[in-house]
Amino acid sequence: MSDTLQVVLIYAFVLGSLYLLISLGFSIICGVLRIFHLGYAYLFTLTVYLTWMFMKEFGLGLIPSILGMVGVQFIIAYLLYKGVIKKYMEHEEILLTGLLLVAMIVEQGVNYRYPIQAGVFIQTTLIEGSSQIGATSISNQLLVGAGIGILLTILFILFFLKTKTGLAVRGLSQDLYSSRIIGINIEALYTFTMFLVLIPVIVGTLIVSPAWAVDPGMGSLYMTTAILVSILGGLGNIKGTIIASYLIGLTHAVISFVVGEPRFMNLSALVLVMIILMVRPQGIAKSEALW
Amino acid sequence: MVDVEIRRDRIIIRYKGKKWDWMLEPRYWRNTLIWTALLAAFPLISYFVSPILLTTVITANLYAAIAIPLALMTVGTGRINFGPNFFIGVGGYTAALLSIAYGWGPLKTLPFAIILSVVSALLFSPLVIVARGLYYVLLTLLLPLVFMEVTFIYTDIFKGDVGLAGIKLLVNLGRIKLNFLASAYISMVLMLLYLLVVNKILKSRYGLIMATINDDEEVAHGIGVNINKVKILAFIFAAGMIGVVGWFYAHYFATFAGITYLPLSFMVKVLLVIFIGGRTQVFGCVVGGYFIAFLEMILISTLGAIQPFIFPIILFILLFALPEGLFGIYRKRRYREYLPTLHVRR
Repeated sequence: MSDTLQVVLIYAFVLGSLYLLISLGFSIICGVLRIFHLGYAYLFTLTVYLTWMFMKEFGLGLIPSILGMVGVQFIIAYLLYKGVIKKYMEHEEILLTGLLLVAMIVEQGVNYRYPIQAGVFIQTTLIEGSSQIGATSISNQLLVGAGIGILLTILFILFFLKTKTGLAVRGLSQDLYSSRIIGINIEALYTFTMFLVLIPVIVGTLIVSPAWAVDPGMGSLYMTTAILVSILGGLGNIKGTIIASYLIGLTHAVISFVVGEPRFMNLSALVLVMIILMVRPQGIAKSEALW
Repeated sequence: MVDVEIRRDRIIIRYKGKKWDWMLEPRYWRNTLIWTALLAAFPLISYFVSPILLTTVITANLYAAIAIPLALMTVGTGRINFGPNFFIGVGGYTAALLSIAYGWGPLKTLPFAIILSVVSALLFSPLVIVARGLYYVLLTLLLPLVFMEVTFIYTDIFKGDVGLAGIKLLVNLGRIKLNFLASAYISMVLMLLYLLVVNKILKSRYGLIMATINDDEEVAHGIGVNINKVKILAFIFAAGMIGVVGWFYAHYFATFAGITYLPLSFMVKVLLVIFIGGRTQVFGCVVGGYFIAFLEMILISTLGAIQPFIFPIILFILLFALPEGLFGIYRKRRYREYLPTLHVRR
């Protein structure tokens, strides 16, 4: 019994931290830009496949390839903001459908160039092997990922709470018009936010890619997790996102190790979110503001 | 006692203090009739010239038949449902499971497909009252995904990975080509029936009430509209209609797999039928359905393996290039009917 509890708690912590890493960017976009970024899935796919492309097609090493991928991701994020998000902020039905199409275009493009048989794999393992914690055996890479997830979240919180730019972003997430009146450069901050969300996504994807499956459709799976976490936490609220990540991590761990039916993992999280939303339509957090 | 009054421009039917009127003025239905005649001739011409086009016609009709009730749902509830394919799943699986288990044909499974679609819509109808803005979008987006998960988990029932096979065919006239022709006409009748009913509803007093709800729920409530009743009715009625499309898919293909209709990719196609067609204008849904089905077919036959990549790019460009959809181009030069506001954030 105590062994099972230990396994559940450890996996709830590790999975929760990784889910936090995956969904932090989505939550920040929801909180600041007040849009639902249904194109979020493309970020995960591009992180892996652009790195692979730089390595394979241009013969670069891992680090230069990652830098090249980051550069391209920044350019795409900028173009997406200027060309689509900014222009159609008031026509959300078009915006949401357009963003979904962006994710589809990337997925299909990647699938055409590097289908699943291409065997894409990027060696971003930081620590090989696995560790034994009591009765629980867990991959070192996932443990490191969990640690990085927590560290990055703390850094983000400190940034939002302790810096002037963070204060401006929080102000923007609370009230757009008031922020404009007091002279906050909304345009610049929106662009900055689009760049900021790339960090947890890129870091998270690079960490989990050696351990979890890589295929052109991987983005949809990660985006579903990000959506679930964000709406459970309350769209755009970081406190809510943290709680929701661990709640979904715990649900997955319980379903896998107590119920013994890992195939129910996704369904259980979906049902949990639906039930909580029906009872509390605004999610766990009281506010939709960033903090 | 039913009282029928025939005037020069309309027929008026009165019954127990209620009144229905039907416009006869040629300028109102001439173009519709011309287009309907052209559409009706198309499968027959395809049958002799290029039978392969019949499948595209059926696909187009079914896209439109999903989009038309979705347009009604969007106007009537004042919200965009991002998961209409959930009801396709309900209707399709009901028909498929009943047909396989009891050997029932399409006529026997139809009422059950409608009933289960309506019941499931009734079950989720509180969403149109309690969930607002992005939360409604999210919940409706999640519904088909939850259903898809269920089909994968209970694979012994739903065969989520490979799909259910052995469903009775919609029509069996002994020759495959004839079956396709009959299916094309049945799908067209279904689509035109939806068009007629939904257009009539939207042009009626109820349509006006729905438009009021769509524009401002509080104002609608203020002027005495029972907004909850109208929203729930619009949701359930449209869901039942979409469920019938699921029933059609199951019997037309004689197989049904949730993985085909429940993922985001299918839902995006339906949304694009609405947006590229004419942004919830019901006639635009037909234009959108035919445009997307034929574009997809042309790209598949000309581009081959790269089609799945090029198709969304073209749709992406069109989505932003046509603010009022393809039907909006036609409407620019003619009488402009009510163009509903599409709400996501509210």
